[in-house]
Amino acid sequence: MRIAVPKGRLQDRVLALFAEAGYDVPTEVELRSRKLVFRRDGVEWIFVKDCDVPVYVEHGAADAGIAGLDQILEHEVTAYQPVELPFGRCRLMVIGAPGAPRLTDDANAKVATKYPRITRRYLESRGVRAEVVPLGGSVELAAVLNLTSHVVDLVETGETVRIHRLELQDLVAEISPRLIVGRSIYRTEPARMRELIARVEAAALVIPSVARKLGAWAAHESQPSAPPGPPDPSLTLGMTPEEE
Amino acid sequence: MAGKTRYPTGVRPLLIEEAARRRRIERRFVSQLERSGFAEVVLPIIDYAEPYAPLVAAGAARQSYRFIDREGDLVAIRSDFTPMVARALAPAIDPRDLPLRVFYRGDVIRCEASRLGTNRELFQIGAEIIGDASPEADVAILKIAAELPAEFGVRPLVVYNDTAIVSRLVRAFGEPVRTALVTKRLAAIDGRGIDRDALALIEKLARGSATLADVGTWEPLADRAARLEAIAGALDPATFTLHLDDVDDANDYYTGIRFRLFDAESRTRIAQGGRYDDLYARFGTPAPAIGFTFTIDDLANDGNAAEAGGAALGDAMVREVVR
Repeated sequence: MRIAVPKGRLQDRVLALFAEAGYDVPTEVELRSRKLVFRRDGVEWIFVKDCDVPVYVEHGAADAGIAGLDQILEHEVTAYQPVELPFGRCRLMVIGAPGAPRLTDDANAKVATKYPRITRRYLESRGVRAEVVPLGGSVELAAVLNLTSHVVDLVETGETVRIHRLELQDLVAEISPRLIVGRSIYRTEPARMRELIARVEAAALVIPSVARKLGAWAAHESQPSAPPGPPDPSLTLGMTPEEE
Repeated sequence: MAGKTRYPTGVRPLLIEEAARRRRIERRFVSQLERSGFAEVVLPIIDYAEPYAPLVAAGAARQSYRFIDREGDLVAIRSDFTPMVARALAPAIDPRDLPLRVFYRGDVIRCEASRLGTNRELFQIGAEIIGDASPEADVAILKIAAELPAEFGVRPLVVYNDTAIVSRLVRAFGEPVRTALVTKRLAAIDGRGIDRDALALIEKLARGSATLADVGTWEPLADRAARLEAIAGALDPATFTLHLDDVDDANDYYTGIRFRLFDAESRTRIAQGGRYDDLYARFGTPAPAIGFTFTIDDLANDGNAAEAGGAALGDAMVREVVR
């Protein structure tokens, strides 16, 4: 079995989760070796950019992985998303430049984003005609420098928005990391995949103990419970990834 | 010299050896289908988009290349054989000729080049039985589909389910049930308004622990459970796996059995199919139907190696890239 782990801000928490689930995960020392693939106890762990996890799983290069809903929706991934993880949550928001009208009232809106597909679908769902400007990073800067009137981007604490006097205008989707499992591997090896799901699900339920092991979590992420139930963010926009 | 040396993403020519290999595979498929009593139909490469509009899920519609022809009609390049076969045959069917066995072959073109490694031009061979709604027809088509790759030394693994299970649950309790089962996240439903038996079944389906007995417990699905039991009883479990929680999210034309066929060694999908009992009625002649489609691609071997000395065939000689 090959599992894709997102490098970066979620990596430690994802590894702690899998350790809690009883998997023998690579150690910190090993991770410092800059290797990208680790084989331990029948599992191959691969470390890839968070935006690439859905791509690896979708195409069968990894059997499962942890991916944010933002990447799942942007890649229109058909993989199963059986477990939502109680950490790393944030919001995908419409943010206005200082003084910009609401996006729905702006006939000349330009929207910068790292998520052009999600943004286009959001605009369609709101009946807004706006130009989408795809950017690779530091998206808020586009609004700060008036390159665009709005941006669609992830908001965690809202600090960047506050500092630059931008305006949070609308929620596009609640974003959470999820265990994703490729459809083909689930179809052909259901027992093994169901075991993985059950173990990760159980570990996610005891995540506060994982938090203690890690020691320092941001206060806003330490709440074990999800925002109560649905609406599933993918549903609020009609964003159900489609079948292959 | 022409400026562009490459081809558009997702298409490529087959030069002499590859072309010969594809034709050899094609001949063997066709020969086997003809031996099983299937007759060929040839379909146009373009057709009006309008007759198919109510049938095709939004995602599938986006897959097809469409344009306005000189008469001002919206036409589409063939992207899915199955509805085209129904549209072509429905007006010509004489009920006395049923059941009918037909096969088809040719290219489908899909706008999926953005997906990694996905071809836009796919050569497909498919077959269907029209006019037989019995579980025996389901078993027959499943077995024929499994025998075709076996001819090339590929050990088939067929995973099947019944789309009626989810469609009846969705009809009774709404689309969130499908979302919960597709994503395997029960949080997508709140459980209110769902009766106890159905809720227990939905939970087991989402968790992958449902059995046929569980399906039959919810009365509206008792007939489907009995039918699936009959089908499963006629199939070798080493090759055919009933996978009750394999749920499709596209609400397309399938009404019963839905299956995917994999190379058991490489776990590569090489074919797919299912039952679509309402499709012909939409084109004017009610007739149940069930069929499958192989997508022939990246032909690593055409079986000659097996004939020569039983050497391992390596990866699948056919590969289903989409659907």
